Amino acid sequence: MKALRARSAGARTAGHARAAQRPATDPRAGEAGTLAFLAELSQALAVSLDLRQTLSETVTRVVDFMQVEAASLFLLDPATLVLDCRICIGPVDITGVRLAVGQGIVGSAVAENATQLVVDAADDPRVWRAADDSTGFVTHSLVCAPLRTAAGPIGVLEIVNRRDGTPFSAADAELLELVAAPAALAINSARMAASLLEQQRLKREFDLARRLQKSLLPHRRRDGFPVIGVNRPAHEISGDFYDHFELADGRIGFVVGDISGKGLDAALLMVRAASLLRWAGKDGIEPAAWLSRANDELCETTQDGRFVCALVGYCDRAATRVRFAGAGFPPVIVQRGDAFDEYPSGGPPLGILPGVAFEQRELALAGGTFYAFSDGATDVRDAQGRPIGNAGVRALIARHAKESLEPRLRSLLADLKQLRLVDDTTLLLVEAPRAEQPERLVDLRVPARAESLRELRGAVRAALDALGVEPRLRDKLVLAVDEACANIIRHGYGQSCDGDIELCLARNGTTLAFELRDTAPCADPAALRPKPLGEMRCGGFGIALIDEVMDDWRVEPLAGRRGNRLVMHKRIEDIAGEANEA
Amino acid sequence: MSVSPNGVAAERGDGYVLVRLSGEVDLSWSQEVRRAVLDALAAGTPVGVELSAVSYIDSSGIAALVEGFQQARQNGGRFALVAVSDAVRAVLELARLDRVFLLVPSAEALLAA
Repeated sequence: MKALRARSAGARTAGHARAAQRPATDPRAGEAGTLAFLAELSQALAVSLDLRQTLSETVTRVVDFMQVEAASLFLLDPATLVLDCRICIGPVDITGVRLAVGQGIVGSAVAENATQLVVDAADDPRVWRAADDSTGFVTHSLVCAPLRTAAGPIGVLEIVNRRDGTPFSAADAELLELVAAPAALAINSARMAASLLEQQRLKREFDLARRLQKSLLPHRRRDGFPVIGVNRPAHEISGDFYDHFELADGRIGFVVGDISGKGLDAALLMVRAASLLRWAGKDGIEPAAWLSRANDELCETTQDGRFVCALVGYCDRAATRVRFAGAGFPPVIVQRGDAFDEYPSGGPPLGILPGVAFEQRELALAGGTFYAFSDGATDVRDAQGRPIGNAGVRALIARHAKESLEPRLRSLLADLKQLRLVDDTTLLLVEAPRAEQPERLVDLRVPARAESLRELRGAVRAALDALGVEPRLRDKLVLAVDEACANIIRHGYGQSCDGDIELCLARNGTTLAFELRDTAPCADPAALRPKPLGEMRCGGFGIALIDEVMDDWRVEPLAGRRGNRLVMHKRIEDIAGEANEA
Repeated sequence: MSVSPNGVAAERGDGYVLVRLSGEVDLSWSQEVRRAVLDALAAGTPVGVELSAVSYIDSSGIAALVEGFQQARQNGGRFALVAVSDAVRAVLELARLDRVFLLVPSAEALLAA
């Protein structure tokens, strides 16, 4: 403020011929005028919707307020380190002039991130004179203030020649610096807003691409289907895909693919490759011919060096034999008991060279499992950051080989995820369908007392969370179990409280089964009817809530009438797809 | 999910009584809740049951609220549920009682309602 005060004294310009022409209300006449000018400017910049317009007005106001011949605003391109004149007011239009960082006084202001005051331009060899030389304009004195942000200068505000012919002073430099601050802030905010908008737009596009991709993946089949796939994108969208379909002759066709590269264009190629491979396989042609057909088609249309690694094949419904061919896809791993075999691809990736022949192979599974992992799995990093490779994937398979299909898939993915997933990971496996065993999630026995309810709820809630059941549904299921237990405690056991309640929660495919056993006197089925909800009754709607939440439920006496068994079922369609969630 | 401990406390406001409930309302203590609600109604002023810190409620807890509602109606009194938490709202909706009770955002709104 000291410099401003010096300026407000007006001592240096007092008595000058031009000074006398200024109106009495000259805004420069006092510190208040300067502050008003700065406040007005800051305000205009802060609320600016059209930054270009506002900046242009700012430069104009600087010219008027500071009584200078010319002023200009340069913006820095951080990639090229070139300063570009965007706005210029004055007798010579230098808009579009480009200066390197360090070049001229403008460039020095950025290079040093400090305001440059040149009292006498003739004395300063740094002054850039090209414009003067070509136009006849003479630069006598100038000030350049960097547009500062936390991340460094983003441009320069420059003033040239005071109209009264006197040179610029330190006070002018300070005032210009004060103007540069809100201008820099406004430019920075506008840029951030633009980048935020861009990010939101990109996110919307990515969400769309991701939904589109997910919609291409086939639904999990639970009817003893021998082919099953999962896809875990490393980022929002995936370059991986898999597919399976049934042919009229009963064979089942399958595809796994991996697009080179990442991002939106890889994702779009994935969409095209996925439909192409499905189309090429629908006729039931040999796997090698299937790949050739897709390859020729992709070669015609794929540019930019992108390619597609893929594995295609057929198996029979009982998964006794598999016939397949690979195109640059990681080796297939076949596990039979403790033995592992690997079968590398017999051809290059698709989309590179038309007319290539692919080798195919047929093998008997003999109760074993055929695993096709995209290289996202083998690229997974261990604790030391090394890719786990095929040996690592084999070790994972061996660790979970005894588990039935669903838990095994979940365990494999969980293990891969625990290691570091750097790429999209897709797994397709073929194995003879086994009779699915229900998976026990909760097994709990508690005293039949109201104090036990909290523990029961906690156990059910934790199990449902582990399954990924959506919180609203989870809470309803917890409530239904609680209501059932409360009924057993209140009405089943009544006064005697030495009995227990046994809770078992099991999942069979997409169905959850909640089973409660007690040793209370056998319940009267007639008393267990749900009453209508929505009525103001003090009690009696526990059963109605159970009825509302569960798909079905029933109570039956235990053998020898030594208690009751309540079974409640709920289908949960969506959690089966959890393995496909990102 | 909030981890408030189970608790019920009545406080006298300006022209009303507010019963504050917190925690998981289940069969193990819903009788206490019922008692507190009926006691509050005995004062004859409007009663609000504050439920913002209730993370779980079962049908026995709802029954205590229903009883309060009915008692108030018989005596021409005012009874409302105040600042109902999402967990409670979900159970009220499930029981189709969300439009039966008077639900207000704050104790002050109880008097205005």
